[in-house]
Amino acid sequence: MKSSRLTLVGLLLAYGVIPLTLGQNNYVMSLIIASLVIGGVALAWALLGNMGGMVSFGHSAFFGVGAYVSAILAMKAGVPVALAMVLGGVGAFAASLVMLPVLRLRGPYFALAILAYAHIFKIVATEWESVTGGAGGLASVPRFPVLFGFDLGSKLGSYLIILSVVLIFVVAYKWIRSSYYGLALRAMHDSEDATRVVGVNSTLLKALMLFVSAFMTGVVGAFNVHYINFLEPDYAFNGLWVTLPIVAAIFGGYRTILGPLIGAVTVYLVDQLIFKNLIPNGHQLILGALLVAMIILSPGGLLPLLRQRKRSQHHAAS
Amino acid sequence: MKAFYQKLGLTAVTALALSAQSAMAAEFLVGAEIPLTGNLARVGSGMNEGISVAVEVFNKTNAKHKIKIITADDESAPAKAIAAVEKLAGQGVVAITGGYGSNNIAPASDAANKLGLPYITSGGVDDALTKRGYKTFFRINNTQGYQKAVVGLLGDMKVKSVSIIYLTKQATGDLAKDVQKELEGKGLKVGTHAFDPAITDFKPIINKVKLQDKSEVILMVGYENDYVGILRAAKVLKPDVKAMVGVWSLATPKMAAEFPDLMPSVYGTALLPFPAEFKTADGKLFADTYKKLYNKEPDYLGQFGYVQSMLLFEAIARAADKATLSKGGIAQELSKTSRDTLIGHVVFNEQGDNPNFVHRMGQHQAGKINIVWPADAATGKINFPGVPW
Amino acid sequence: MLELIAQALYSGVLQGGSYALIALGLALVFGTMSVINLAHGELVLLAAYIAYTVESRLGVNPVLAIPLAMGVVCLSAMLVYALISLIRNDREINTLILTYGIGIILTNGVLLLWGADIHTTSSAWLQDAVVVGPLYSMHSELLFFVVSVVLMAGLWWWLSRSWYGRAVRAVSSNRDAAKLMGINPRLTEIISFAVAGLLAAFAGVALYSYGVIQPSYGHVLTVKAFIITVLAGIGSIPGVLVGALLLGITESLTVTLASSALQELAGMTLFLLVLFVMPNGLFGAARRRG
Repeated sequence: MKSSRLTLVGLLLAYGVIPLTLGQNNYVMSLIIASLVIGGVALAWALLGNMGGMVSFGHSAFFGVGAYVSAILAMKAGVPVALAMVLGGVGAFAASLVMLPVLRLRGPYFALAILAYAHIFKIVATEWESVTGGAGGLASVPRFPVLFGFDLGSKLGSYLIILSVVLIFVVAYKWIRSSYYGLALRAMHDSEDATRVVGVNSTLLKALMLFVSAFMTGVVGAFNVHYINFLEPDYAFNGLWVTLPIVAAIFGGYRTILGPLIGAVTVYLVDQLIFKNLIPNGHQLILGALLVAMIILSPGGLLPLLRQRKRSQHHAAS
Repeated sequence: MKAFYQKLGLTAVTALALSAQSAMAAEFLVGAEIPLTGNLARVGSGMNEGISVAVEVFNKTNAKHKIKIITADDESAPAKAIAAVEKLAGQGVVAITGGYGSNNIAPASDAANKLGLPYITSGGVDDALTKRGYKTFFRINNTQGYQKAVVGLLGDMKVKSVSIIYLTKQATGDLAKDVQKELEGKGLKVGTHAFDPAITDFKPIINKVKLQDKSEVILMVGYENDYVGILRAAKVLKPDVKAMVGVWSLATPKMAAEFPDLMPSVYGTALLPFPAEFKTADGKLFADTYKKLYNKEPDYLGQFGYVQSMLLFEAIARAADKATLSKGGIAQELSKTSRDTLIGHVVFNEQGDNPNFVHRMGQHQAGKINIVWPADAATGKINFPGVPW
Repeated sequence: MLELIAQALYSGVLQGGSYALIALGLALVFGTMSVINLAHGELVLLAAYIAYTVESRLGVNPVLAIPLAMGVVCLSAMLVYALISLIRNDREINTLILTYGIGIILTNGVLLLWGADIHTTSSAWLQDAVVVGPLYSMHSELLFFVVSVVLMAGLWWWLSRSWYGRAVRAVSSNRDAAKLMGINPRLTEIISFAVAGLLAAFAGVALYSYGVIQPSYGHVLTVKAFIITVLAGIGSIPGVLVGALLLGITESLTVTLASSALQELAGMTLFLLVLFVMPNGLFGAARRRG
């Protein structure tokens, strides 16, 4: 089983090699953690797109709501950070409930309606000063605790947490895909009418996927706020939480499970380490160009493109 | 396995070498965490220029110790600000100067404090910054300084009613509310109007001021594009006011050059007049070096960047002389600062704040900027009442 | 109070006219190709920056920049069309993401070329006030409101009377039947994009004349244009004007009666309301949903 050996190597790399070699380099670890945060959102975004068939341009809504709910609960209600993170996800899920009416809309309408929600949440966060700290935001948000003498708030600790969270999501995504729901959703893609005839409640399934995607993004947003210890409306609902995951998912392989994750780590690291030095003021231009190129050349992402190359090479050889 | 031990050994040797170097050499690495990209890029580059001038002046006037600056871009974002501080720490800096925007300075100085690095800034006036109990955080300006200047100017004008139009961000909102409280305490009638950063058409607000408030003075608290929008709307609606007063980023040569028809008689906070005249030797050295490096007149950002960095470098030099560098000496020396600078006499209190800070008010007059408040720093007569239309 | 509301309505109507100009290009392309060009706002912004360059370099009234803006923006619109036509599968979704990426390229391109500073016209005439009774406005606002209405009338006439206009409508309702009738769908699509570019050019110069521009503004314009397109309903030109006026007035009244901090909130809420209650917009032809 080649794939399980690959998985083992991958896990060893992630949990073992990287902490040992890079664990002390705060700067590189910051980058990796940030890329994993993007990866988590990219995964959730791709899940919504693949399973639910809905492209969203406003995932920052869930990210921000998750962050605020978690921060407020931890700061004002004294909820322990781990629980607050989960509740952050629940908060994002609640936010998605408000979005149910737009579920029946077609692609572009849905995508931009979610964006409208993101704007609205941001304004609520700015105006509701008594709870959210208004435009100034919340500072000194509680960090991760010290567990068995190991400071989870350190770079290494935070890395391990986000890594585990993202991997749990990967497993969950896999499970959904191979379950009854996944099958039904894929059938729905091919023909919504046919599946309805068979008795599949397409709207309910789509809603479930929205909830899952929202929950995941909310948890990632909550992680980020306890890692950075700071939150403000502009940062929580920033357009980057929309753009980067989309670029990552498309680049890495929108239809695969690990694609968005790999795409996120790759794109983010390359952007921060290389592009930023090339064009300090506007390096996002390269990201935009990347997105355009990928959509035209290989909407399935980089992996399918490489696989195609390999296949054609094989053919040429034989 | 062998490769691993080799790597370990190499890392250990490098670490030893680096630490030895920082104790003996007369050159000190200082980190500059600045927004060079993002929406604070313009103010960041202004501050950066001031820091570079400080490096040049310090190295020239100080034979024994030299400073080298490493700059890290914080992209006007809180998370990147933390990353920038950590990157600089990893490169072996002994202190950090820079930072703009309380939203970025808060997490950045948090990170600096955790790493034991002193952090000095002029870009964060938010009150919360000095309430954290950090011994490593220092700033040379604060909201109170702006408040004193504005209230002082309004007092000189002897007006009875003011309308405050302010942006709903932390720094601007806080200043607006503080000024409102103080003015109302003095018996003035104050009307307040908040606006969102997305607003571009200020006519409805100006109309409200004109028809409902009927105030004598309009106070604008926002950033450059807000001032432009408000002044344009006022030019169209022509409310019956005697003065248009703003705060930071308004009484600058840049605004005078780019929007000459909107600026006449408008007031804003300004450290020095334009064209600048420096009376002290310190000031002349600053202006000359600035001209030499950047071929232009210094502005308030450069001035602030210069002052904060000079204070830091001098503290580093003193700590090096007393050999207390590794024992938190820089922070200790900074807290003992008591020096006349371009912005007045600077001392730091327990919280790292500069309680002496009082800004000055300038007015655009015929393409130049004259200081009109306080009276002892005035370079020209106040043109009151006066509006751009 | 009455004076305040009157001014708010007046300003809102003028602003709505300009919004309509911005939204028209997006609505046209959406109506004919069922494609949302998320880079439309950036095209408008590009025209605005060209107006700035013309005014600051040549020292003339920015209105004279319109021909140059038209050229550049139409060319860019053609480029966008060329890229869109390269997409094979999942046209709707992939086009959305593609134009999103193009928007990012344009925004950052503008940032690189012109810097992050804000700009607005320095022409005194454009900024001077026009007073009609108790109502105030700037010359530029009135001028471009009139321009907007004229262009809209022209577009409406063109779509209903001219050969190409009717071809555009034919293609949008049934592409294959149109081909059978001898219409080249590609040509009509190219023409729609070109016309959209033309409209964007006018909108951009107008924006520079009455408002303040900065690189990040492109995205904001696209969102506003989309909101108005949804309000209008697909395939309705008069609907765009009504939708734009509605948005302008809503924003203006919110600022005057409530707080200006809520202006954006009002626009977004209006948008969502229409989506829930009337997904086909105010004037839209009935189309299949979901």
